Amino acid sequence: MTVQPAGRGTPAGGGSSGTNLADVIDTILDKGLVIDAFVRVSLVGIEVLTVDARIVVASVDTYLRFAEAVNRLDLSTTQKDLPEVVQGVTQAKSVDQGEEPALEAAADEVEDVPEEQPREARLREDD
Amino acid sequence: MSPRGEAARPADTSSADVNGTASYVYGIVPVDVEVEPGTEGVGEPGGQVGLVTFGEIAALVSDVRADRPLGRPQDLRAHQTLLDQTAAEVPVLPFRFGAVLTGSDAVLEELLKPYHDAFVDALREVEDRTQYVVNARYDERTILREVLEENEEAATLRDRIAGLPEDATRNERMRLGEIIEHAIAGKRETDTATVLEALSDVCEQLVVRDVGHEREAAHVAALVERDSQAEFEQAVDELARRWSGRVEVRLLGPMAPYDFVGTA
Repeated sequence: MTVQPAGRGTPAGGGSSGTNLADVIDTILDKGLVIDAFVRVSLVGIEVLTVDARIVVASVDTYLRFAEAVNRLDLSTTQKDLPEVVQGVTQAKSVDQGEEPALEAAADEVEDVPEEQPREARLREDD
Repeated sequence: MSPRGEAARPADTSSADVNGTASYVYGIVPVDVEVEPGTEGVGEPGGQVGLVTFGEIAALVSDVRADRPLGRPQDLRAHQTLLDQTAAEVPVLPFRFGAVLTGSDAVLEELLKPYHDAFVDALREVEDRTQYVVNARYDERTILREVLEENEEAATLRDRIAGLPEDATRNERMRLGEIIEHAIAGKRETDTATVLEALSDVCEQLVVRDVGHEREAAHVAALVERDSQAEFEQAVDELARRWSGRVEVRLLGPMAPYDFVGTA
């Protein structure tokens, strides 16, 4: 977990540099009292430049991006993690509930992975 | 910013039409607050932050040029920094970015006077409380593997797409992405509920924010008693540890209670 104190909590001289702009936008353009609700007479119609930092969640772009990410996932598991697979399976037997990333590669890429995959157990815990 | 002391007044902005300045309003504070001299607000150059006072309350304001747009990153940060620093010491009702009145007279006559009592009540509500935002995001590789494992169609599509050119598999890619998006939305619902449950005992109020990212696991604002801050942070920390590797948890704050001053 990263803790990002806003305002006063940040290191001296840093201002609010610990908070990224998207977080700032999420908060102060979206939340807070709206003055229009109170004042209707002499509100100045000053132009506010805003960037919508949020993305539309269920879009075609999102779908294609996810698909692309899955594609990358495959490449990285076959090319990089495969040599660790055998080792991973061995560890799966000896280390109960292990956290080794190699185990995930094993589950994805090796046909004869034993049914009691430690990864499954771990995921169910998380849910 | 500190409680007690003589209220400083901003430069006179009553003649907005003549000199082209207007009053930018950051928020409402109790009247016994003083602004550190030299505090700069939004605009270019940043206006000196001062107070317009009435009865038990004061508006945090600074002059801005009425003919220039606002909204540069510095403006946004100036707004939030001022409010968060203020909130660290005194109760404050933060305004949404971009509240500008014609001048300090308007702030007094149209904002403070007519709504004095409502503001006093609202200030009491946020007194000794502070806001945090919990922003949790799924680790991409982990969550994709999770979905592929749980969803047979997704795994089949993945295999069908693998190695083929992009334009030949556009439909499959769309379908795969759609499945993943829906699956994550379902997980988000479950995991947001987990966050609410984990934090409900260590805070006063919780608000679920709109989804802001496709891999968002939870986005929740919490109103926390000052005395319970350590407890709250510990609860978030515990959650982060529990989700380690699967979800990255960020804790923002303490900050002004932006999510808990709605006008509804």
